[in-house]
Amino acid sequence: MGATAGTPGLLARHGFEAMASPCGIVVAGSPERVARSAIVAAEAEVRRIEQKFSRYRADTIVGRINAQAGGTPVACDAETLHLIGYADTLYRASEGLFDVTSGILRRAWDFRKAVLPTPQQLEPLLALVGWDQVERDGHRLRLPRAGMEVDFGGFGKEYAADRAAGVLIEKGIRHAIVNLGGDVRCVGTQPDGSPWQIGIQNPRDPNSNIASIPLSHGGIATSGDSERYFDLDGVRYCHILNPQTGMPVRYWRSVSIAAPLAIAAGSYSTIAMLMEERAKDWLDSSGLGYLLVGPDGAITKRDAPSA
Amino acid sequence: MKFIRLGSLLLALGAAAGCSSLTPVQPWEKGNLARPEMTFESNVLEEKFVEHIYGSKENASGGNGVGGGGCGCN
Amino acid sequence: MNFLPEQHEAAELMPDADHRSSGRGLGGAILLAAMALPGLMPAAHAENAPESAEIGIRYLDYKDSSRMLDGSGTAGAYAFGNPGVQDRVKVHAPSVNFLLPFAGSWSLAGSLVSDSVSGSSPRYYNSAPTRYFSEHRTAGDWKFTRYFARSSYAVTFVHSDEHDYSSRALAGTATFASDDNNTTWTVGGGYSRDKITPSGGGSDPVTGNSFSLERKYGRDFMLGLTQVLTPTDIVQSNITYAQGRGYFSDPYKTFDYRPRERNQFAWLTRWNHFIEDGPGLVKGTTFKASYRYYQDTWGVKAHTLSGEWIKPLADGWTVTPLLRFSDQGSARFYLDPDPTQPGFPPNAFWTPTAGVYQSADARLSAFGAVTYGGRISKKLGDGWTADFRGELYEQRGSWRLVGQGSPGLDPFKARFLQVGLTKKF
Repeated sequence: MGATAGTPGLLARHGFEAMASPCGIVVAGSPERVARSAIVAAEAEVRRIEQKFSRYRADTIVGRINAQAGGTPVACDAETLHLIGYADTLYRASEGLFDVTSGILRRAWDFRKAVLPTPQQLEPLLALVGWDQVERDGHRLRLPRAGMEVDFGGFGKEYAADRAAGVLIEKGIRHAIVNLGGDVRCVGTQPDGSPWQIGIQNPRDPNSNIASIPLSHGGIATSGDSERYFDLDGVRYCHILNPQTGMPVRYWRSVSIAAPLAIAAGSYSTIAMLMEERAKDWLDSSGLGYLLVGPDGAITKRDAPSA
Repeated sequence: MKFIRLGSLLLALGAAAGCSSLTPVQPWEKGNLARPEMTFESNVLEEKFVEHIYGSKENASGGNGVGGGGCGCN
Repeated sequence: MNFLPEQHEAAELMPDADHRSSGRGLGGAILLAAMALPGLMPAAHAENAPESAEIGIRYLDYKDSSRMLDGSGTAGAYAFGNPGVQDRVKVHAPSVNFLLPFAGSWSLAGSLVSDSVSGSSPRYYNSAPTRYFSEHRTAGDWKFTRYFARSSYAVTFVHSDEHDYSSRALAGTATFASDDNNTTWTVGGGYSRDKITPSGGGSDPVTGNSFSLERKYGRDFMLGLTQVLTPTDIVQSNITYAQGRGYFSDPYKTFDYRPRERNQFAWLTRWNHFIEDGPGLVKGTTFKASYRYYQDTWGVKAHTLSGEWIKPLADGWTVTPLLRFSDQGSARFYLDPDPTQPGFPPNAFWTPTAGVYQSADARLSAFGAVTYGGRISKKLGDGWTADFRGELYEQRGSWRLVGQGSPGLDPFKARFLQVGLTKKF
């Protein structure tokens, strides 16, 4: 309340690679020195999250939880406990479709080869999937069977985008946009009050956009079937897998959601992909703005009420 | 006495604001409120001049701040 | 299920999965859970501190008139031998102003104005022999503010100097905002000292003693509340109370004898409303309204209502029409012109008595006044903005709505123009 517009014309941009994606932070309306220092802190926060929750390293919290599957419970810090609580909410809100233990199913799918896995390959993996089996006791977590894994990759990028934006706000930045591989969160509007314009990639043509969505607060996240996939006999098999069948979802080409937080936008878009044709009614009852690309390429758009 | 009655009106307004039945406005909904024309501080200087004119041609003044001195304007 | 107490606590924050969205469509359980994650939406550091420095220049041009009617002895005709003479005061006031934020949570703001006032001012009412004058006034104000995340503290120093009047005032204000920044309280207090040294000296109307210096002291207090009501509505309500002691009379007006004390109360309420949706003409425009009630111990009660409508146009232009209406009752000791003594102040044949106050200053009469005009501004690029404001003002006894207007006074008219140029860094 009482904020005045920043100075138009001042712009600081920084591109970098993190979480296996091209990332960018734009800060507008602040003097160069202030903007640069805030961007450095925001990038550092993204890298901190990337390293803390990496499943590739044995010494991270996720690495230790996975290494101790079937063994002793692992003590978690406050941030991890919050994200575990959030993962639990997503599991229940999606009726079990969004499951952070379903990452091991990727072992059955090699998207560089157009080969479908056999039931013999999928069954043992499906037996190790199930968030409802995970044991939580106070601040400790235990995966009951060896071979089970948790993975926060389903909302890691969006969480990092929100945390990076939080760092920018604490540094006094009022007009900025954080883009981590297509998951976007903004701080304020552009300095002159106009919204940021976010391009939504065509799921069948990465070089073109199908829409430009004005964003004046919050974030936009997109889930789609063209991130990692192969096509076989005219059917697309994408990287978003149903945790109960182990098979890719096969309805929406892409789902973009606008929400007050990027992590919420990302969770809604992923769950919408998982819900397949049931998603539209579910999204309508959420009240959020969305842009859906259907199986035939048809676009359905809904503006959020206070956009 | 009238001053006290009217002063308690303001406190009542404050109490109403505190236990407002309106849903509190969230930070991400404040984009329009941040526009300069929607604040109460956007034309302070212009209005200061105009209030100075009214102060010397009318008898009523005040309501917007403290610590203004006087002048011999007539 | 292995859910434990912490989980149940979290569950209370989140409604069922099929909970319908709120009236503003915020989404359901997932969004609420996301909002519970720390660090994603922190309170902005020193949220109200200005972001950029600013300097500006401004020029005010003011002219008023209250034409005398030709002498005929009827009510309202005080021609005293000079039919048709136009009484007119002209003011030219260039000024500079600046705002300088520094160290992230401090700011210094200041302005300096140099008024050149000339013209003629009536000795009584607004249509009588006049005093011709030409004066110069220099005034400035300086405000030093410290900002915190949810509060701010400021000290303001104001000064004004002209050859027969000088004033100094010091005030402190503080603002306190709620955690959600939707409610802000403002408190303030100030103290002022004025010195009056009329040219040619003044004289006490009761004793006849002359004086060269008089003083006036003031204390004032303010309590205000600003409340965000909806994403497009914000309202502010302020109460101010001022106590003044000292010399209030006008030494240049004939037999002007006012009390040495005046307490003033004002209650101002303002409302800003942004029109988000609607026909193209009103979409994206802002409507602002304000009402002030005023009352003082001289018996004056006044109501002031004003409104403006801000319409942004293409290419950085903005146009704002505005309208103001003010209704004022007369001071207890204001004396209407005496129709049986045309051309003379009504107290010309009385002996002023101690404690029996009187004034023939039209400013203390009962009237209704209307201002209409507008403002145009243009963003020139690179942080420059130019603006122009023009207003027409008229004050008439017969325009009073709430009660009886003072009789026998000529309509008073004025026009004021302002032109300004500011640069933001």
